Amino acid sequence: MNIWLHGAIYSVLIANVLLTMTAWSIWFERKFSARMQSRVGPTIVGPMGLLQPIADAIKLLQKESIVPDKADRALFNLAPLLTLLFSLGIAAVVPFSPEVIAADLDVGVIFILAMGGMMVFPVWIAGWASNNKYALLGGMRAVAQGISYEIPLVLAALVPVTLAGSMSLSDIVRHQIEHGWYIFWPPGPGLFAFVLFFVASLAEANRIPFDIPEAESELVAGVTTEYTGMKFGLFYLAEYLHTLISAAVGAALFLGGWDGPFAPGLHWMVLKTLLLFGLVFWVRWTLIRIRIDQLMSLCWTWLVPAGLVLVMAAALWKWGMAGS
Amino acid sequence: MKFSTATATVADPYLDISTYEADADLMVLNLGPQHPSTHGVFRIKLYLDGEVIVKAVPYPGFLHRGVEKLCEKLTYTMMTPIIDKNDYLSPMMNEQAINMAFEDLHGSAVPRRAKYLRTIFAELQRVASHLVWLGTFGVDLGGALGGGTTLFMHCFREREMILDLFEEVTGCRFHYNTHMVGGNRHDIPAKWAKGVHRVIGVIAERIDEYEILLTSNKMFVDRTKGVGVIDAELALSLGITGPILRAAGVDHDLRRDAPYHAYDEVDVRVAVETAGDCQARAIVRILEMRESLRIVGELIDNVPEGPINGYRPTKTPLQVKITKGQGYACLEGPRGELGTYVIAGGDNRGASPYRLKIRSPSLHAMSCLPYVLPGLTVSDTIATFGSLDPVMGEVDR
Amino acid sequence: MIGVVHDERVVSLLRDRFEVAGFPDDAPPLVGAAHHLALARALRDELQFRLFGFVVASHWPGKPAKKEGESGVAEAFELAYGLRSIGKGSGLAVWRLCLAAGEHAPSLVELFAGADWQEREQFDLVGVRFKGHPDLRRLMMPEDWEGFPLRRDYPINTPCPPWR
Repeated sequence: MNIWLHGAIYSVLIANVLLTMTAWSIWFERKFSARMQSRVGPTIVGPMGLLQPIADAIKLLQKESIVPDKADRALFNLAPLLTLLFSLGIAAVVPFSPEVIAADLDVGVIFILAMGGMMVFPVWIAGWASNNKYALLGGMRAVAQGISYEIPLVLAALVPVTLAGSMSLSDIVRHQIEHGWYIFWPPGPGLFAFVLFFVASLAEANRIPFDIPEAESELVAGVTTEYTGMKFGLFYLAEYLHTLISAAVGAALFLGGWDGPFAPGLHWMVLKTLLLFGLVFWVRWTLIRIRIDQLMSLCWTWLVPAGLVLVMAAALWKWGMAGS
Repeated sequence: MKFSTATATVADPYLDISTYEADADLMVLNLGPQHPSTHGVFRIKLYLDGEVIVKAVPYPGFLHRGVEKLCEKLTYTMMTPIIDKNDYLSPMMNEQAINMAFEDLHGSAVPRRAKYLRTIFAELQRVASHLVWLGTFGVDLGGALGGGTTLFMHCFREREMILDLFEEVTGCRFHYNTHMVGGNRHDIPAKWAKGVHRVIGVIAERIDEYEILLTSNKMFVDRTKGVGVIDAELALSLGITGPILRAAGVDHDLRRDAPYHAYDEVDVRVAVETAGDCQARAIVRILEMRESLRIVGELIDNVPEGPINGYRPTKTPLQVKITKGQGYACLEGPRGELGTYVIAGGDNRGASPYRLKIRSPSLHAMSCLPYVLPGLTVSDTIATFGSLDPVMGEVDR
Repeated sequence: MIGVVHDERVVSLLRDRFEVAGFPDDAPPLVGAAHHLALARALRDELQFRLFGFVVASHWPGKPAKKEGESGVAEAFELAYGLRSIGKGSGLAVWRLCLAAGEHAPSLVELFAGADWQEREQFDLVGVRFKGHPDLRRLMMPEDWEGFPLRRDYPINTPCPPWR
């Protein structure tokens, strides 16, 4: 099939499916967190509360969209759109199955990391354009956190790239199908790189324990303080989307992508993505947030050196394997 | 007397901000009256140099309802439901504090059964209040959408058991109006002791889990250890009592040192820590919860028989008239020394006080903010503020 | 535990050094305003009453003369102070000051930091001024409020001015 047509059809398909899944992740989060807290969660709207996201969306849509007087109007309105844009952009190169991939780039991993790095911009723009000190503080923290944690993320993502010898995500998945999932083999670098990737993704997506930029109990709503209605909704949608996509990327890089014991295919990829996504929520509803300076020292004193060691270990393994 | 060796940096609350470094661009941030973490409406004006606070100016008074003026128009017997709402998280303590003062002035003696009941209610209320504190502390530290809320839900689940016990006695889950001049209004039902023992067992087990959380979970420890140190000298000078003073190393507890109710018949073991930081205050409260449950377990089986109220009215509605005298009575509340200063001989031919003043421990705790906050970051401010356990109804009255 | 002075050492201190004669059993003893600061200092440093307790101000409005030749009662303010000692047998020292209208009370801020806010609150609500207080302004009421709400002649239903 013509590569442009293939790309167009699958990007629309993937975007739609992902956005729908993100909307239902609201339901999933509320049920999951409720069960963790000995509660029930939404039960009224729809069977088992399944129509809750629709209720939430309608509620947000009908709210008044207030732009503060002295806020930078253009940037204020742009920020939520940009977050959504960059999050969806990452989904373009993730291989959900051998056929379902919007754009099988040779430099897929770099593309993902670049788009993830761009996510710092809209958060900072929102903090600045709101003309609100709480938002400004949140934006500053977000920039510090986002930029710092890109390094461990890059280093962790370099391990599968080194082991597979290619930056294309489909090639990485195929290499895992031949040689075993990276989380299990090689033992050591694979597992630790996965943990590093997971922690760095949490920080990039501003999830607890790293949700300082939107620390609700300290900064009211941090970066999103001045946003109302659907713009606020877009921020949270983008955050869930980023988390979901990071989970998908993690599944592709470390858990073997669409590989599975019986019938390899799309369903395995979806299952693994949902597994990692659930893990993120589990961590969120259990832990408290760490302070900004502790977050920075965690990154620079522990994660970056660990990442460097892991990349070297992966390189040594590859060299050793190539020799034999 | 061994005091804390913690090195607290006590700032100058009257620092002239214009004399601060000329090239520092100070930002004024209002931890404003509307804020998820100020435990009510309370405003702190923070002067920030980056993320570090240079000067903090608190502005209380947003919840000032004029309770003391109102009480000059109400009679002694009508006041209890209003005073319930001062420290709205421990209403039993509020009621007991004012009624103790009225009984002393009026000269009515409280029967022994009522004293036991008051002690049991006070200790159960202390546990309930500290559970609220723990839950909201988790929310402050961890965010309303995150691990803090999990802790909050679990604490409130335990607190519901205590509130159910109180509902069996008084009919109200909260704000009971069960104390009166001369004793109690409601007696405990026959099977209540069994319920109390069951609740004590469940909560004691869960308190162990909470203590592990505060001492071993690295994130909790990092957020609370060494943060917001209040040393003994500052606390004594400011009049701060309760868990904050005990966490600073001062071994002072009114239940043991100036016993009231039935505390002279039990052995109160006071929890004292020396660090004076948020973690120390948290641990003191956890230990206090355990001690309260132990005291309740000891007393509930030995409640003496007898009347619960010593003062019999001669006409209805119940009228207590005190024509002269003034004095002060206090008790050890969950936040510190909760006292009442009454000048009798007011309106309604002595059925109202001339002047009533509530000595609220939370107001003294709030007055330490200008001394302790400078040097902390905004995150630490929230942790410190939460660990001081203020209740705005009591701060502002 | 009513706050009249039971502690022997405090009683002898008051009687011997601060010329207090009357120890009624239903009110704290009255101390002259001139001795107030020295008394607080002695209690804190010598008798270890280091925990700041409370400050209560009350307003005793004057009564005009009812008959010819009789003088009315002058307006007065009374301040009651409480200090506590810590440890076993925790004692409470309570005393009263009587002030004429317009007279300033000595402030205890230099001895106890807690006197800062407590005296501000009594100034705010009753209108007693404190000499030597570094920052005597309103605590509970809005800064631009007029009048002192807890005075006996202040009507309880004074309306609050509308939001500006």
